[in-house]
Amino acid sequence: MKKIKITVAVILAAITLFFVGCTAKKDKVPVIGISQYGEHASLDNCREGFLLGLKEAGLTEGKDYTIDYQNASFDNATATQIANNFSSKNVALMCAIATPSATACYAAAEDKNIPVVFNAITDPGEAGLTTGNITGVSDKLPVDPQLELIRKLQPDAKTIGIIYTTSEPNSVSAIAEYKEKAGNYGFTIEAIGVADQASVTQAADTLINKNVDCITNLTDNNVVGVLPSILEKTNAAGIPVYGSEIEQVKKGCVASAGIDYIELGKMAGKLAAEILKGEAKASDLPYETVTEYNTYINSDAATAMGITVPSDVAAKAIECK
Amino acid sequence: MLDLIISTLTQGFIYALLSFGVYITYKILDFPDLTVDGSFPLGAAVTAVLLVKGVNPFLSLLVSLLVGALAGFVTGFIHVRLKVRDLLSGIITMTALFSINLQIAGSNLSIAREIDTVFTSPVTMSVFGSMSLILRKLIVSAIIMIVCKVLLDLYFKTKNGFLLRAVGDNSVLVTSLSKDKGRIKIIGLVISNALVALSGAVACQEQRSFSATMGTGQIVFGLAAVIIGTTLFRRVSFIKGTTAVIFGSVIYKACIQIAISLGLPANLLKLITAVLFLLILVLGNFQKGSVKKNVRA
Repeated sequence: MKKIKITVAVILAAITLFFVGCTAKKDKVPVIGISQYGEHASLDNCREGFLLGLKEAGLTEGKDYTIDYQNASFDNATATQIANNFSSKNVALMCAIATPSATACYAAAEDKNIPVVFNAITDPGEAGLTTGNITGVSDKLPVDPQLELIRKLQPDAKTIGIIYTTSEPNSVSAIAEYKEKAGNYGFTIEAIGVADQASVTQAADTLINKNVDCITNLTDNNVVGVLPSILEKTNAAGIPVYGSEIEQVKKGCVASAGIDYIELGKMAGKLAAEILKGEAKASDLPYETVTEYNTYINSDAATAMGITVPSDVAAKAIECK
Repeated sequence: MLDLIISTLTQGFIYALLSFGVYITYKILDFPDLTVDGSFPLGAAVTAVLLVKGVNPFLSLLVSLLVGALAGFVTGFIHVRLKVRDLLSGIITMTALFSINLQIAGSNLSIAREIDTVFTSPVTMSVFGSMSLILRKLIVSAIIMIVCKVLLDLYFKTKNGFLLRAVGDNSVLVTSLSKDKGRIKIIGLVISNALVALSGAVACQEQRSFSATMGTGQIVFGLAAVIIGTTLFRRVSFIKGTTAVIFGSVIYKACIQIAISLGLPANLLKLITAVLFLLILVLGNFQKGSVKKNVRA
């Protein structure tokens, strides 16, 4: 009996000691806590861009700041704990990549009023991240340029299929925008909502069955995550798929009018630098939206789909393989 | 760095409510109830919508609790009355709840800082107003958790509470007492999911947001917390099951926090957490050996 109590006591003591121990060291250099929702090509690009942005703003890692990078492996409860960790370490600034991490950081930063810079959020207003000591950059999809691009590549196309996750607010608002604007370019949208990643390939089958002329992607994590298996089906059926950013075109989508997540990250990095230097407060900086987009083309995929890229598009497009 | 301990304890206490729920179904009723992954965000969705509409935060917790109870009832009804296998009836309710939660909350919902939660309401401020927010979060979640624990412990001592235990341990006995074991199972599921939804509601108020995916994997957390707690304390007779579960929940959250604090590559987080669990459970198993040795001597 005694031994049991001792074992339990030892475990509890070890945990407590660990907390005391790991938090004892004090750094004079301000720490930037980066909380990323999960590892994912676009989100990684956001982080890389953020670090570049800090450097471009004239800050040096190790001298002006140090980075504490954590990712939540797409788990909300872990995102909360990461944010608490940053708050208790009194980080100088939290950089939150993707909505769940941003809301977690924002809640954890409330007590000490730590500034938060978010990244890769489509609609910061709807996510409730516009008031308080917070700013950042929005990755709102360039819907008009994308529709225009599809029209140029497929002059006869009528219906565009889109698969989206019903629980992702970013996707829901993007679908609404697509439906609103599709008519201007002579398209109708065939949207299929799914609850989880497992249903995405089934939804792709449904779209193929409905004879859509092409499929376009949003920045929907569930859909992008299984893109290769979607492409396998659509390639067999001869239906072109358009991506929402460069990484998807690299994986085999025909083309995309997309934002460059590295550039997006840089914008966030520059905002963070201003705050760190004391030039501005996050509460006074409105969030920024990217207005520039690039056209990405995968010529091999286009040729396989029998699409000839008009020369005016090809001239300004970036080739991805 | 007291803050880190405080916030980890807060998380542990909030999720202890969920673990109580899993303790009732998994440990007492011997019913693997997957409703949890749906009833946790259900509680959060209900409380988020009510808070945004300006309802008192304490009242919204109560409503979440009742709605969670309803979810438990549905699982119980499907299992007992419609005679669907236990695992599947939980899966059915969980799956349905995913859509229902989205219907309730519309989409992911955030609660603005101006809106009062149980941690910032005038009632809380009048008593703990002098404390910092993170300390207030700890105290308020501890109070909610302890109230539930005490009520639960009292309930287990009632006749109905004993029957609940009997259904899991020896259901033949319950039938021989001419009691309807189906009804008792439903009661267990109702209490369990009410607690799970309450946990989701408190978690939602703490992090000021609801997301449809916040329930994913909560059953795994609950099972781990219950098993860690009860394994560590299984030879300590004076510690109640509910107390052991609180420790299990705090230890789980502490393991994740340690993994985060270690500063290793972020992608190793889950692996490190898994190793920590294993270490704790193996340490717990050593007790068994030492007890046997004592018996022999």
